[in-house]
Amino acid sequence: MPASIPPLPAAEPADVREVRELARTWADASGLRGWLTTVDHKRIAKRYVMTAFAFFALGGIDALIMRTQLLRPENQLVGPDRYNQLFTVHGTNMMFLFAVPVMLAMGLYMVPLLVGARNVAFPRLNALGYWVYLFGGILLWVALLSDTGPDTGWFSYVPLSGPEFSPGKRVDVWAQMITFTEISGLISAVEIIVTALKCRAPGMTLGRMPIFVWAMLVTAFMVIPSLSMIATASQMLAMDRLVGTHFFNVAEGGDPLLWQHFFWWFGHPEVYIIFIPATGFISALLPAFTRRPVFGHNAVVLSSIATAFLGFGVWVHHMFATGILQLASSFFTATSIMITIPTAVQIFCWIVTIWTGRLQFTTSFLFILGFFVTFIIGGLTGVMLASVPFDQQVHDSYFVVAHLHYVLLGGGAFPLFAAIYYWFPKWTGRMLSERMGKLHFALWLVGVNLTFFPMHLLGLDGMPRRVYTYPDGMGWTGNNQLATAGAYVIALSVLAFVGNVLWSARRGVRAGDDPWVSDSLEWGTSSPPPPYNFARPPVVQGRAPLWDRTPDAPVVVGLATDRREILVTTAMDAEPDHRHPDPEPTIWPFVAAIAVSVFFIALMFTPWAVVFGSALLFPPLVAWGWPRRPNQAPGVTTPAEGGA
Amino acid sequence: MPPDRRSPDRLTIDVSVLPDTVFGHRGLVWWGTVGFMAIEGTTLAIAAAAYLYLRTNAAEWPPRPTANPDLLIPTITLAVLLLKLIPYGLAERAAKRFDLAGVRRWLVIGSAVGLLALVLRWFDLQALNVRWDTNAYGSGVWLALVAHTSLMATDVLESAVLTAIFFTDRVQPRHFSDVEDTAIYERFLSVAWLLLYLLVFLGPRVL
Repeated sequence: MPASIPPLPAAEPADVREVRELARTWADASGLRGWLTTVDHKRIAKRYVMTAFAFFALGGIDALIMRTQLLRPENQLVGPDRYNQLFTVHGTNMMFLFAVPVMLAMGLYMVPLLVGARNVAFPRLNALGYWVYLFGGILLWVALLSDTGPDTGWFSYVPLSGPEFSPGKRVDVWAQMITFTEISGLISAVEIIVTALKCRAPGMTLGRMPIFVWAMLVTAFMVIPSLSMIATASQMLAMDRLVGTHFFNVAEGGDPLLWQHFFWWFGHPEVYIIFIPATGFISALLPAFTRRPVFGHNAVVLSSIATAFLGFGVWVHHMFATGILQLASSFFTATSIMITIPTAVQIFCWIVTIWTGRLQFTTSFLFILGFFVTFIIGGLTGVMLASVPFDQQVHDSYFVVAHLHYVLLGGGAFPLFAAIYYWFPKWTGRMLSERMGKLHFALWLVGVNLTFFPMHLLGLDGMPRRVYTYPDGMGWTGNNQLATAGAYVIALSVLAFVGNVLWSARRGVRAGDDPWVSDSLEWGTSSPPPPYNFARPPVVQGRAPLWDRTPDAPVVVGLATDRREILVTTAMDAEPDHRHPDPEPTIWPFVAAIAVSVFFIALMFTPWAVVFGSALLFPPLVAWGWPRRPNQAPGVTTPAEGGA
Repeated sequence: MPPDRRSPDRLTIDVSVLPDTVFGHRGLVWWGTVGFMAIEGTTLAIAAAAYLYLRTNAAEWPPRPTANPDLLIPTITLAVLLLKLIPYGLAERAAKRFDLAGVRRWLVIGSAVGLLALVLRWFDLQALNVRWDTNAYGSGVWLALVAHTSLMATDVLESAVLTAIFFTDRVQPRHFSDVEDTAIYERFLSVAWLLLYLLVFLGPRVL
């Protein structure tokens, strides 16, 4: 494998006239109009990532308030009612508005580039997904700031969240926010599946598809059943509250455990919806920093698929304390331990890759190493929690809080930061500062461990989670103080990161097109990429397209430059199949998202919202799909000319 | 497609000779349609799962004094939903021939039958003999019906819009391909209803 020889560019430099015409064809309108109407997957995904980080920061401030409240016993900074809203919104925000959307957004940005496509499969739908997500997120935060924040935990267990014990609109905000974000997530999943399967560059057979794209594909396939589940379940909860259905009402034959089954059948796979893309980041980044391909390509891909299947078979381990059958407990203990096998296979493959590679200790690589340490601690406490007697002992204690943060920050945030340091030059054309990056990494590593390690001990000492304060003399004060100090170190680390991003985006070192001398297709176009990504679709000759490319690689010609056109290939072998018109920018997804928002928010108050909400949504959807006159859509052949 | 030699030392793959209108699984819209069928199918399966789970909590199904659902109108609705597949199947065949008149005719008939089914669905809801807020059984059957009805209503509107496009001068080759995807979606909707009908209307008699 070439270590320092610069690779050949993936795409042939197309002639100047062609490139100029492409630039004109794919350009967005300028100013606000362009901003609202764009259907460029890169602009939309960048927006998703930035919005998700804005929610991450808000959720972090929320956490800091909670940690400050817990700094000493009997603290009066925040009362119990406000505290309930704070921890509910923190968890809800971090899962639904940060972790899942940011992972899918990374896929929406990178998958088309990694497969050599010009855009995602359904660009207008993609725009709708973003706007719906944004409005759902604003709903949650406006509710918190107006003292209507949900207050029944991020999983909103019934009967606490039912009409009897939670009157008012707080839980309805939660239920509708779920609907917003899950619609957005489901749209992203369909985008990723169809882009990965139908828009790959010629030659990129499934066997050559990058591991990261596999990871996003597997994730998208998990998103469809799991996010459909929570969207439906949250509507059932909303109906129990609004129109008096009895799904979860024991008195009329309903069942609160039905909620828990539905919630965790979504909730546990969701952990893998966050984790599998993160494993994809690691597999995508390691070749650049070890100067070799990932060891065991097939084993890593198959492990992702196995994890996805097993991920739907472990949900009851969240319900060990509900008195389910002992046989069921044993079964779910077994599956919960079994799911460590594919993860272990991946981790061993990465360790071999690192062991046999020539290492480059960049910030990105340090975050990968941090992932190993932190995630493995979280994984091991997960194995402990899979054991019923231990789970019964620490259920609802700070031990669980420690475990889940180690898993989500270790398995999600560390790889995410690694990926951002790696792809930032792709997005902006500039490098993030390595010096600031290393400061960010050091503070993050110390902060995460200082905050969450003491929580294991607090849990073992019996401190329950979701309490706004604790009495003096319990022996919990010291560890709480350590955790609070850690939270402020995390805050400093995030400030270092934000500062680095803001400074580097304007003044960072210019990156060139391929600063890491990487193997994969996204580095075969300019950094940042032009709106059409690739002037000519690249042709892929191996698993490492840039490293495997021969000087006589074929060139794809004949894709239109005077109108937006993409190449669609076959699902298995990526043989060129047909040309597909890519839609023009339009305002209608934005307008439709506003209609959706009015619909869903009104549905918190009246079931008639279904009628007038649909009526409101219909016109923008018709306008969206209504075709232009054929002579206004140049280049589309008539039925007689265009063969079927 | 095999690359052809354009210059002595360079292979080129000329995609301009490829079609820009294709049918079935070759097309992107087909894949999108299948994706949304998977999402909506999951939603309907969840409604069925909720119904079956709630069944385990009751000694009798439907719980006394709730009556069994009536069968006459719902069976007619089912028949109409299955019959609807005929005009959509014919529209699909006409679309593959780019037969504009045929597509127009069968889409109009298909949309009209769809509208009829939607009207009948209103009476299906009456035939349940229970309100959504009577008990958990009522909530379960209403969920199944409302979930499917919302898909039907959306489908009738979508189908009407596609039909309308075929009566304008804006029709493009890709719309013929859309007709096939619509026909596939209609099959999904009708088969899904066949399963839910068995569960909701025959289920109480056998479960």
